[in-house]
Amino acid sequence: MNVIIAIIIAAVLSWINFVLIDTWMGLPEEPGVKGAEVIGRSVKRRGGDLAGGFFQGNIVCSPDASAGTLLASAACYTIGTPEGGLIAAILVYIGNRLCADPGYAGTTGALSITCIIFAASYIGIGPADFIVGMVLAIVTIQGLHHPLASKLLGRIAEKMGRHTKLT
Amino acid sequence: MIIHANVLITILSYILAIISAMVVGLVLRIPILPEIPMRYSFTISIIFPTSVLAIGFTAMLFKLGHDGLLVAVIVGVLTAIFAKYFLESLLPKPQTEESS
Repeated sequence: MNVIIAIIIAAVLSWINFVLIDTWMGLPEEPGVKGAEVIGRSVKRRGGDLAGGFFQGNIVCSPDASAGTLLASAACYTIGTPEGGLIAAILVYIGNRLCADPGYAGTTGALSITCIIFAASYIGIGPADFIVGMVLAIVTIQGLHHPLASKLLGRIAEKMGRHTKLT
Repeated sequence: MIIHANVLITILSYILAIISAMVVGLVLRIPILPEIPMRYSFTISIIFPTSVLAIGFTAMLFKLGHDGLLVAVIVGVLTAIFAKYFLESLLPKPQTEESS
């Protein structure tokens, strides 16, 4: 498969993987640590959505599904599929517990992207494409325009019943 | 799409590791699921993280060259014992909430 197309498909799959898992696990509902709250309120002051801001703050402050997705992709590239992803899930779990986080989002993200990479390898998309794709996916959330991205995340959180009750 | 026999055996090994960890976990009276709401719970249960640790440790041994169904079963058993008696002291629950 053409490498550009492979990276685009990998980026879309990675984006859907970590945004859906993180939203389902309640990242937009409340800030896990004070840093996440500061980021969420700052994003809201700049015209963004508070739930989306909490989401962005939480993924900065502890290993979530985006970290799991990136780490599992890198581990599948270096160690092999699926062993790398399964080992990455343990490392993400340890990292989560060290950050006072129960660890469901990060571990689930690592395991689900391992299954996705395993399936995608049969159509010619490899772990290297997922590493680049995940970096692009996280840039759309954290690197381009925080308020706009937070509004999209807030809308997804609302649809999934995970919007914050805080004001 | 062709899935080779060794891939099926590898998948079967991971399933066996999970099953053996679950069986031993039940014998050791580890809770099957964390308490609700699960996504905020730090309770060590059979589904999470015992099963996740079982397949992770199995993957580590496979990559170190020790593969096979028996290895998977043994790793599952040892993981359940580790989760019951040692995991909580290695990675304890946070003592206080950090959020305001």
